[in-house]
Amino acid sequence: MAEASPQALQSVFKGRSRDAGGRETAIERCDVSIQDQPDRTECRLIVKMLCKHGMTKTYRLTYESVEVMHALFDRTAASQGWRISSRVLREYIEFFGNKTEQLDLLAQDGKAIFTSFTEKIQDGKEVLKQPLETAIAIHTEDFEDFHMQEQMHIVISVKDFKAIVTHAETLRGSISAYFSFPTRPLQFSYQNFGIHCEFTLMTTGDLRGASATPNPKFTSNRSSSRQPSVAPQPSLSRTASEMLPPARPSFNKPLSSQSQRRSFKAQPSASQSDPDPDSLFMPGGEEDQTWDPPNYNNDEGEEMLGWDANNDHPSASFHPTFRDSGSAAPPPPQQQERPAAEESQEGLAPTQRLSQVSARILALNVLS
Amino acid sequence: MRFRAEIRNVHTFTKFTASLATLGHIAWVRLDSKDCRFTVIPEQGTQVWSVLTPDVIFENYTIQSAAPNNTINLEVPLAPLQRALKSAQNAIAANIRLTKKDNIPLLSLTITTTTSNPSGPAPMSTPSDGHDGFGTATNGFGSGTDDFREGSADFVGARQDRETVITQDVPIRVLALASVEGLHEPRCREPDVHIVLPNLMQLKGISDRFTKLALETKTSARTGFASSSSGPKLELSGNMHGCLRLGLSTDAMQINSLWTGLENPELDPSQVAEGEEGLANHPSTKMKALGDSTGQSDEGWATVRVEGRDWGKVLSVGRLGGRVIACFCDEHALILYVFLNSDEPGGGESVLTYYISSYSA
Repeated sequence: MAEASPQALQSVFKGRSRDAGGRETAIERCDVSIQDQPDRTECRLIVKMLCKHGMTKTYRLTYESVEVMHALFDRTAASQGWRISSRVLREYIEFFGNKTEQLDLLAQDGKAIFTSFTEKIQDGKEVLKQPLETAIAIHTEDFEDFHMQEQMHIVISVKDFKAIVTHAETLRGSISAYFSFPTRPLQFSYQNFGIHCEFTLMTTGDLRGASATPNPKFTSNRSSSRQPSVAPQPSLSRTASEMLPPARPSFNKPLSSQSQRRSFKAQPSASQSDPDPDSLFMPGGEEDQTWDPPNYNNDEGEEMLGWDANNDHPSASFHPTFRDSGSAAPPPPQQQERPAAEESQEGLAPTQRLSQVSARILALNVLS
Repeated sequence: MRFRAEIRNVHTFTKFTASLATLGHIAWVRLDSKDCRFTVIPEQGTQVWSVLTPDVIFENYTIQSAAPNNTINLEVPLAPLQRALKSAQNAIAANIRLTKKDNIPLLSLTITTTTSNPSGPAPMSTPSDGHDGFGTATNGFGSGTDDFREGSADFVGARQDRETVITQDVPIRVLALASVEGLHEPRCREPDVHIVLPNLMQLKGISDRFTKLALETKTSARTGFASSSSGPKLELSGNMHGCLRLGLSTDAMQINSLWTGLENPELDPSQVAEGEEGLANHPSTKMKALGDSTGQSDEGWATVRVEGRDWGKVLSVGRLGGRVIACFCDEHALILYVFLNSDEPGGGESVLTYYISSYSA
């Protein structure tokens, strides 16, 4: 496990995707190696780009060997969740205002409602600086899978959500969310092209609203008619188990909390640059942006969302391990305020447990 | 106080808002039964006063207010409005209404869209098989069984009928009548030259290039002037023989672009003070006697100096595609009238008026 500066790593690969197409400097091969022999300069990540005409670009980055800790997430405890095409979601996240802070997830009347909001309530003239509040109500039928308790508000950060969806869309898969109740962790997961991504987020929200209801009502399409067409694969026992109503067998799931990939950073693919921004002549397309005043200072541009908008503290992206060991049911009030000592005692798991590793290997064998 | 309307022309409204937003962050919006007025008065630079007939952008326009003539005065932040409208680009319906939430007045836009990318999510595919969610290709998978095809066709078909509702709440301020009483549209003397501007895309391209050149030569000499009043000045001149000249003079260079063959619209005697007589004595009638249509003469030009970056912002109104008439008050001011495309009846009265002061040489 190693930690390198994301900025440095990004500058190596930034803009290279354009080089791929038949230009003079096209890259034919890219070799990445890690140098950690004690007799040589230690801790170097070497990226070699072999271009046409025998040109080779070599980048040497330093890295630091660190103990990376993952947030363990217990999917058996996450009784609720949904899955939706990342492309559909990608379209909608565009609508959230730039400066909104929080995102509220709610199921109501057969719809999933995503509301971006900012908590600050300002008065007078300041009101106009309040960012747009956006609510998007998506039919649960648009989800491939949906199961969530009604009238329960789960709140996460908009920025995190946008970054995750933006990245998920580049992999063109479906994105899944697993959660249980407010103040319990939530996990987003998606995979494609051999990349498997999991993001575990802490949630806030109104826990009382969720637990006060004696007979919680669920908005769910899990028992809808098209579900049986899903071929349950033995290796993915969770797919099958998710079809069932909330009371679920507690499988130890093989795919949980592994291979978290974070701190990727790249430009969104949409940012194609004009071939000649200084051209006096009319560009071909009727692009509305051409009418915007040019940015002479380069310092007042609108905030653009890459994958990771805040990478100022690369070390902050590795959180100490904690384990979501809460039960599937909302904990009774007196249990909420558990002393921190107790939490840490059972929560710290610096390395992966052997049982998980072997379960994973087993799963891979079945897949292949 | 009530206001609600369906937005029937999202694109025009979006472009209109975008044009205003280049000049300032906040618009004063005055709505009444007849007109929608949007005014942007930045602390520095060009003001824009616009009047739209509601039909241009709205439908089923309903307004109710205790103030005379059903007038509602609002202060609307333009960037959030623009962003809200952006999410309505592909909407099947959009409406706007004045409302209140937690005691904060809002313009609330309710936008109905369908999921435009019915991305056959291929429920059969396992998460790691690589086809997951790839476009609408579910029907194209040769390996799919018949059952699978039927199932997904049904699924996609059903999907298109579903609507997604997006609510965008723009925080605003409701203005009391007293606070807007002091705001008056600028008044200018009769212009010396009025001329239809050439294609704004071209004019903007050249203007921005000039501004950039001026900024570059300037920063090499001295740095650090960011305020718009001290930026490079472009010299704009027009004559009554269809010529427009855009020029830049710096210590190091002098460049000009000249357009000829432009139109000088005839003034309507009924719109000029003192009718026919007023027209005969109108400054522009006198300017007609001077200069020529090749633009080579030194006479007959009315000239203003505009700040390059501010001018670039003004020209962003070109996105609306309207006809633009520039009125030159020599050494004093430039007034642009941007008439929205009046292909549809009722659009004729919609005009944006830009007041641009001239800087001294």
